Order: sequence, then structure tokens, then C-alpha cells
Amino acid sequence: MVNEYFDLVDYGGSFVYYIFELANFSILAFLLLITLKLNLININSFIAWLCLFLTPLILNYFIVSPDLFGDQFQYAKEVMSLKTSEKSISNASQFFGSEGLSAVTMSSRILGLAPLPNFMTVTSLAFANKLFLFTTFLWFKRFFKNENEVLLYFLIPSIILYSSLALRDTLIIILSLIFLINVIRGRIILPLIVLYPLFTLKIQMFSILALYFLGHSIFQAHSSWHRFRVFLSLLFVAALMFQDEILSVINLYRVAFIAEDFVAPDGSISYAAWNLYGDKIDDISSIFYAIFLAIIKLPVLLSIPLPWDWSNIFYPIQALESFLLIYIYLKLSSENQTYKKNEYILLTFILIIGLCIYALIMANVGTFVRYRFTLFYPFLLALFYLSREQDRERKDLKFKSID
Amino acid sequence: MNFLKKFRAKNKFNLVIDFLYEYVFIKRSAFAFGASLIFSFFIIQTSVPQFSLSATLRDASSADQSSRVMIGGAQGIFGGEPTLGGALQAFQSNMYSYALAKRMWNSGWGSRIYGNGEMDEEYFNKIPKRHQLSDRIASFLLGYNLNDYYSAHDLQSYIRSYEINQERESGNITLSALKSNKDFSIEFMNALIIETDNYAKESLILKSKEIIASTYNQLAISKNSSIASALGNTINSEYYKIANLENDMPYHINIIDPPYSSEYPVTPNVPAITFSNIIIFIFLSILISFILKNKDDLW
Repeated sequence: MVNEYFDLVDYGGSFVYYIFELANFSILAFLLLITLKLNLININSFIAWLCLFLTPLILNYFIVSPDLFGDQFQYAKEVMSLKTSEKSISNASQFFGSEGLSAVTMSSRILGLAPLPNFMTVTSLAFANKLFLFTTFLWFKRFFKNENEVLLYFLIPSIILYSSLALRDTLIIILSLIFLINVIRGRIILPLIVLYPLFTLKIQMFSILALYFLGHSIFQAHSSWHRFRVFLSLLFVAALMFQDEILSVINLYRVAFIAEDFVAPDGSISYAAWNLYGDKIDDISSIFYAIFLAIIKLPVLLSIPLPWDWSNIFYPIQALESFLLIYIYLKLSSENQTYKKNEYILLTFILIIGLCIYALIMANVGTFVRYRFTLFYPFLLALFYLSREQDRERKDLKFKSID
Repeated sequence: MNFLKKFRAKNKFNLVIDFLYEYVFIKRSAFAFGASLIFSFFIIQTSVPQFSLSATLRDASSADQSSRVMIGGAQGIFGGEPTLGGALQAFQSNMYSYALAKRMWNSGWGSRIYGNGEMDEEYFNKIPKRHQLSDRIASFLLGYNLNDYYSAHDLQSYIRSYEINQERESGNITLSALKSNKDFSIEFMNALIIETDNYAKESLILKSKEIIASTYNQLAISKNSSIASALGNTINSEYYKIANLENDMPYHINIIDPPYSSEYPVTPNVPAITFSNIIIFIFLSILISFILKNKDDLW
């Protein structure tokens, strides 16, 4: 590169773009063939994943412009800059005055680890996302007897969409899922390791999962009703004690999300426009009011995007999908009387807390549809894991008898 | 080792080797490899090489802020436009503006890009514009007119193919583009930088003169001594600005590295295209072999 300054050569949509990205697809499809040969997946999974591996190629440039999810370009630029000059072009994050890796840099570093031949466009990163998701599928399905049932959970429209884009949501979902399953399995070290990248990738998700870890591994709130009540009481007392700190963070995020989405009368946008033209919004001043507001706004969060917000083809699909996911969650809860398990109660309680926090800070529909899914989906899979515990016990018994 | 035993690693490794011998190391793959090379050669031959052009600039205000410290006076009282900072945005807005494209068009750059380079104004305002067949059909069907000649608007679109970015650490501004004709593009980029800066200076001089004229009018009718004093300061600062602008020094930006081009074209990327085609063709060969041998299982 001239001037040692990185610039992304945009091959997007050109003929060579399809050559580069078909090569990436070929590598993924080749790995898929090998997994089939090794009997790691069945033929249904093979056909489904072959189609899923094609979606990044079909979605970006072909069906929709990648500008519809404009954030993709910053990840693509970052990966290519790191690969060509080992220099980050993303702003470093600040935490208590010390500089750390930004979410973009960390996502790019992780996505860049995918063994793909080309990192040329945003679609290459989408293929990296697909590879990581497929690996997660291979890991996750081994806990279940019925592979086809697991496969269905990976055919949910939003997971297909986000894993077909160069965004960090797939990574967050994967890490959250690994965290939740391992916490449920009673592991400590691996969930703690997984929490570290989550802290950088999405601090909201980190906070919610850290709370779950605290309840599960420290307070053992999943083992009995009594312990759950103790955890709940301590949580409430802590919320009252640190009310000011908690509310200041929530208020900051509320303003930040409103400001990010702000359009000024002069056409300027985002934080700069908010600084000049933004109105002051009323701060949440007590934890009780925060709980009240969260309960009121939670149904809205669960139903967005509402019909009047539908501005692209994905919105109606995501609206219907949201109800479908809630239905699946309720159905899984009732199967095998899972709702009676303390493990389920703790998991659902943490999910509701997470959703309430998002409901409080919700502003931009597109962003929060994504946030909601990123939070809800790992919890749904964790519940799926819980609800099939009996199958797993039978499977283990079968293996033992074979041995 | 217990893990490997449980995973049946040896058995799986043997299966992978069998797979490779069955589907990859076969005659069809060799044919696919040869076909990929021919296909790559065809693509490379039909591609237009593009060079990476770049110039490094720096915000002139970061080096010389003394010229702006006098700003205050009436602007301080009446809340006038802030002048410090934003050089990148100002430079970018000016560079992508129609006004600048028009200036460059009048200097004959449109003729050099779209025509034969003749500087005769009558010629370069009548350079015929060719449209794609699909555009012509669309205009016929929908009943709108296509432009017959190139104009400054086309030059404006061309200028927008030059990208401006700011480097995070050093704060340097980089103007870059991918172009096939590197010598002409270097010359154009140079002219673009200078013309943008000149245009910014001329606009500011004009603006300052207007401010001075209107401030004099206000001064004539002002009876309040503090306002009169503030207006006087404004006039002084505007004269000072004009004095700073009416010279050959750069205003918005300093040129750190003048425009230059990469020695080799950055696109088409010959190794990447060849390698990608090899992967695609060999994978197709594997897929065909796999489907042929497993069609009963697959269906």
C-alpha cells in the first residue's frame, strides 16, 4: 500500500468478488463434506448447512446492498488492515482511563482466525461467522439425541441473517451459548474465560451473564428455592445500595442510544447533532421507577419491529419470528415439566432481567431487534439444553452400556 | 490420550485420508486444476489494471493556529460560526462540491477526462455523452431525457471517486483512488488538491469582504459603545483573515506527500484470482465425484 495507509479495495459486487467469495464458500463446503464423511453430521444437516453456507454470497450485494447493515464495513476494513499492516484502524476503547481493544478490533481479530483463503470483502467475514457457527453446531448437537431437532434451531431467520453478515452478533451469540451451557454443566473456568471477550464485545451481555454466573456458581441459586430466594433478596439489596451507580449507567446508555439515532433539523446526525440540538431527557431517578418503566416497555421490546416501523423486508420476518421464539420458549418450558426446575427459574429470571435492561435503554428499532435476538437466542438454546436433560441421561446410559 | 481414544482420532484420520484419495487425488482434480488456470488467465487478460494513487495531507490549522486567535469580538458576543477545527470536513465538502467541479470543468479537466483534451470551451461543453442501451431503453419507455453532453456534474461524480480518510494516530489526511491511467490521475489529483484549497480561500475572502461591508453598515448606525467596539474587532479580524488568505500558502491543508501511484497495479490481484479459481474448480470436481458416488444416499 502506498503511504503505508490502509485502504480497502472494494471488490463488492464485481465479477472477481464472486470468484473470491466462491472460493471461501468452496472451503466451507469442503469442510462440510469431510464432516459428513466422518459421520459428525447427518445428511439433513449436510444439505441444510450447504444452503446456509451460500447465504452470505446471496445476501450481500446480490439480494440487498451491504450498506443496509453499514457497520459491516468497519469490521471488514479492520480485518484487512490487521492482516496487511498489523495496524488497527478502529478507535481503542477506554475503560477507567486505560486503553483496551475495541469491540471492532476484537471481533476482527477473532473473525480473522477463520481458515479462509480470501479476506477481500465484507462477505468474507460473513463466511468466517458461518464457520464459527457451524463449529458451534457440531459442539452443541453432541448433547442431543435428535440432530434434526438441533438443526431447526440453527434455521431461525435471524441467526441465518446475522451469521450471513460481517457483524459481531454471531460471535456474541456463540460465546454466550458456550458460557450458558458450561455454567449449567457446573463448569467454572471455561465460563470465566469466555466472559473476557464478552466484556469487550458487548458489555451489556457481559453484565447479564456475569449476574447469571454469580447466581449459579457462587450462590447456587439453581439448586433450591431457598437459595434462589436468598440470591433474589441479596440482588435487591445490592440494587438499592448501588442505586445511583446503576441508574447513572442506565441513564447514560439511554441518552447514548437516543443520541446515536438522532437526526437534527439541519440534517446532521448522531452524537454531534445531539450535542448541538438534543433535548434533555428525564433521568430515571429510582430503582422502583426503573422496574416499573421496564415492565411497561418490555412488551414493546418483545414485539418490535411494529408494523409502522417496517422499512425493509427483514422487519416483518423478525416481528413474526419474535413471537415464534417466545412461543418456543414457553413450549420448551412446559415440556418434561422443565418449568419446575430451579435451573429453569434462574435462567428465565436472568433472561427477564436482561430484557428489562434492554427495554429501559431501547431507542433505535433496528439496533434493539438485533440486541434482543442476541440476548434471547442463547437463552433459548440453553433452555433447549435443559429441557432435553432426560434424553441426554438416556444417551449417556446407552454409551455406558456399549462400553 | 484418553480424549483421542474417545474421539477415535486414528479412525477418523484414516477416514479423511480415504476421502482425499477417493475424491481429491484423482484425475478429475488434475483436469479441474488445468481448467482453473485457463479460466484465471482469461480473467486476468480481460481485467483493466488499476493503480493505487495516494497523497498525504495535513490539517494546516494544526500547524498554524495563530492566524485565528484574533477571532472573537463580535463573534464572541453574537455567537458567530466557530472557525477552529473541522479542516477535513471543510476540505471534503469543498472538494466534492459542484462549485469546485465547475471550476475544474472550466479549466478544461472535463475535456481531458471525457474528450480529446482540447481546451476550447466550445468543444468541451459539447462532448457527446454515450449511454448504455439499458439506460436508453429505460428513458424511451419512461419518457425522460438523457443528457446529450458531459457536464460539470459528471466531473463532480468523477471527483467523488477520490476518497478522503483521516489516519487515527497521526491525524494525517489521505486522499486516495484506484485508477487505471496513473500519470493522468497523479496530475489530476494534484490539481484537485490545489484547486480545492484555492476555492476555499477565495470563498472565505469573499465571505470576509461581505462581513466587513455589512459590519460597516452596522457600525454606522450603532450608538452603543461596547457593540461598536465589538463590531470594530470583527472588522479587524476579518481584515486579518483576508491578509492571511491572500497569499500562495495553503489554507486548509499542507501537502505532506504529493500524489503518487503504486508501482504495480493493486487490482486485479493475480495470485488471489488464480488461487481462488483453483479452489473453486477443485471443489467442483470433488462435489461432482461425491454426488456421482453418493447419489442414492443424497436423494
